Amino acid sequence: MAARGLLLASIYLSLLVHECYGVTLFSSLQKTLQVTTTTKRGQVLKAGEDKLTITWGLNQSLAAGTDSAYKTMKLQLCFAPVSQKDRAWRKTEDHLNKDKTCSFKIVEKPYNKSLQTLDWIIESDVPTATYFVRAYALNAERHEVAYGQSTNDQKTTNLFDIQAITGRHASLDIASVCFSVFSVVALFGFFFHEKRKARMSPQK
Amino acid sequence: MADTENTPGNSMHGVSAKEKAFAFSVASPIMPTDPIAKFKLPVDSEHKAKVFKIFSLASPHMTTFHLSWLSFFTCFVSTFAAAPLVPIIRDNLNLIKTDIGNAGIASVSGSIFSRLVMGAVCDLLGPRYGCAFLIMLSAPTVFSMVFVSSARGYIAARFMIGFSLATFVSCQYWMSTMFNGKIIGLVNGTAAGWGNMGGGITQLLMPFIYELIRRAGATPFTAWRIAFFAPGCLHVIMGILVLTLGQDLPDGNLNTLQKKGDVPKDKFPKVLWYAITNYRTWIFVLLYGMSLGIELTIDNVIAEYFFDRFNLKLHTAGVIAATFGMANIFARPLGGLMSDMAARPFGMRGRLWNLYIVQTLGGIFCICLGRASTLPLSILSMILFSITTQAACGATFGIIPFISRRSLGVISGLTGAGGNFGSGLTQLLFFTSSRHSTATGISLMGIMIVCCTFPVALVHFPQWGSMFLPATKDSEKSKEEYYYGAEWNEEEKQRGLHHGSLKFAENSRSERGKRVGSDPTPISATPAPV
Repeated sequence: MAARGLLLASIYLSLLVHECYGVTLFSSLQKTLQVTTTTKRGQVLKAGEDKLTITWGLNQSLAAGTDSAYKTMKLQLCFAPVSQKDRAWRKTEDHLNKDKTCSFKIVEKPYNKSLQTLDWIIESDVPTATYFVRAYALNAERHEVAYGQSTNDQKTTNLFDIQAITGRHASLDIASVCFSVFSVVALFGFFFHEKRKARMSPQK
Repeated sequence: MADTENTPGNSMHGVSAKEKAFAFSVASPIMPTDPIAKFKLPVDSEHKAKVFKIFSLASPHMTTFHLSWLSFFTCFVSTFAAAPLVPIIRDNLNLIKTDIGNAGIASVSGSIFSRLVMGAVCDLLGPRYGCAFLIMLSAPTVFSMVFVSSARGYIAARFMIGFSLATFVSCQYWMSTMFNGKIIGLVNGTAAGWGNMGGGITQLLMPFIYELIRRAGATPFTAWRIAFFAPGCLHVIMGILVLTLGQDLPDGNLNTLQKKGDVPKDKFPKVLWYAITNYRTWIFVLLYGMSLGIELTIDNVIAEYFFDRFNLKLHTAGVIAATFGMANIFARPLGGLMSDMAARPFGMRGRLWNLYIVQTLGGIFCICLGRASTLPLSILSMILFSITTQAACGATFGIIPFISRRSLGVISGLTGAGGNFGSGLTQLLFFTSSRHSTATGISLMGIMIVCCTFPVALVHFPQWGSMFLPATKDSEKSKEEYYYGAEWNEEEKQRGLHHGSLKFAENSRSERGKRVGSDPTPISATPAPV
C-alpha cells in the first residue's frame, strides 16, 4: 500500500511538471517556413535503407524580422490523413501537447536563416504509412511559434509512402521452430516413456 | 452404498458452508485423520490433505498446489503478453483499431471451448497430463508470434495462445484430488486468484523484457518478437516441472494405480441436464461475464489506454496496468471472505447482497475510470475498480457451490466459459469500432456492468430466500434436502445415489444465517452411511 502511495505521488508530481509546458495551439502558429521533399508520386521508400531529401527554411518572400524569435528548428515526420483513419492514437489535435500527428523527429538544429538541405536515412522504427514533413520553429522557451510543411493545408498533395521493416529475422524464425519442436518432442517423449514403464512393470 | 463424493470429475465438490475464505492455515476438524498414511500433512481417508499450508512445498499436496497455480499463471502471462506491447505491434503490423479489438476478442474466445473440453481430458488422462499437454502444446503458439507479419496472423496467434487458459480447469480439478472437500473452497480460490495475477504481472514483465532487449541493440520491431521467447520458455519449463514433479493423486499417478472398483460415476447427460435446466446457472453465467469477463477485457486494453491517453512511456503504462491484475493476490480471496462473513448472520441472502453490492460498485468505478481525465484520478478509479471487480469474482464462487451439488463441475465450467464470453462480448461492443474512444468504451462498459448485475435479485433459493424475498414458508420446500434431493429421480434415490447430496444439504444449513439453531432436524433425512 505504501508503494502504491509513493507511485501515485510521484506520478502526480511528474504530471505537474508536465503541465508547466504551456498550452500552444497549432491554429495560432504562423506558416512562415517552407519545406520541400524530393519524392516522386507513387514512390515507396524503405525504412532503414532509403534516404529522404528535405529542404527547409524561412519563406524568403516575407518581411525581415519575422524570424526574430526563432531559436531552434525541428523537423518532423507526420502522418497523412489516410494513415490516421481508424487509428485514434495518431489523431490530430489543435493542442500541440496532445497532437499525435507528428510522432517522429527527423532532426533538431539551431535556427539558420538560409535554406538547409538534409539527406535523412529513414529510421527502422518508422511504420508503414503515408507521410509528409513538417518543420516547427521554436523560441527560446522551446515553444512552437511558426511552422511549414511539405504538403498543402488539406494535407493532400506531395505525400509519400514509407514501407516499414518487417522486424523478422531468419535466426529468430529458426530459434522459434527449434524451441517449439523441443516442447512437443519432450512432451510426447515423456508420455510414451511413462506408458512403456507402466506396461513393463508387473501387473497387479 | 457407494459414495460418489470426492471422485475425479467433481471439482470443487463437497464444499461445505463452513470454510473460511481467507486464512493461511485451515484445518478441517470433522474428518478423521488417517493415522497410517505417511504424508507430511495430515490427510483424510482418501489421503487428501486436510490442511492448507501456503508456504510449504510438502510433496505431494503442496507441491501440486504450487505447480498447479504456477501453470495457470504462466498461461495468463502468455495470453495477455501482447497487450502491453500493442503500441509497438500496431505500428509493426500496420493494425487499425478493429484489428486490435478482434485480436483481444480472439485471445479470450479460444478458451471458451477448451475449458469445456479440459474436464473430459482430465478424466481420461488425469490432471497432470491434462495440464502438461496443454501447456507444452501451446508453447509453439507463443513462439509463433515471431512469424507474425499481418493483422490476420496476429489475430490467429492470439487465438491459439488463448486456448491455454483452460489450465484453469486442470488447476481446480487437480486441487480437488489433493485437498479435502472442507478446505477446497479456500484452496481453489487462492489458486485461481494467484493464477489470474498473471494477467497483471505480464503488463510489467513484457515491457521490461522489451526494454532490455532494445537496450541490447535490437530495433523495436524485432525486440517485441524476441520478448515473446520469455513466456514461451516459461511454458516449456512449467510443462517439464509438472511432468517430473507432479502426480495425479496423493498415492501416485492415474495409470500406475488400480482404479477403485465399482464407484458409480454419474451419467454426464444427467449432470448436464440438471445444470442447464437450473435458471440460476444462466444468471451466474451472465454475472461472471460481468466480473471475470471485465477483468480479462481490462487486461487487454488498459496498458494501451494509459499509453495513449496520458502520453506515458510504455513501461510506465505497463506498471499502472499491472496494478490492476495484481490486486488479485488479495482481492479475490477478500471477496470470498466477505461472502462468508455476510453468510454468518444473514445466510445466503447475505451472500447475494454482498455480490450485488460489490459488483455494482465495480461498475460504478469503471464509469469513473472512463470519465477521469487526470492521471491520479484515473489510477485511483482503476485501483478501486480492480478491487471491487475481483472481489465480485471471489464472491461469485462463494455462491456457486450451493446452486447444485450434483452438477457442480458442469456449472463451474459453464460459469468459467461465461466469463470468457463476457470478455469477448464487451471487447466487441466497446473496444473494436472507431466510433467512440477507448475512454467512452470504458464508461459504457461500466454502465453495462451496473445494469447486468440486477439479475442477482432474481436468484431465489426456496430454503434460504433471495435478496428481496424470504425463504418459503412451505414446510417441505423450505428444507435443504428437498432442494438438493430434487436433482435425483425416484429410481436413483432407491439406489441411494443421492446420499452425498443429503450430507451436503445438512452441511449447508448454515446458509440460513441466524435461523440455523431454531430449526429441528428433519425426520425424513436418511442417515448417510459412512
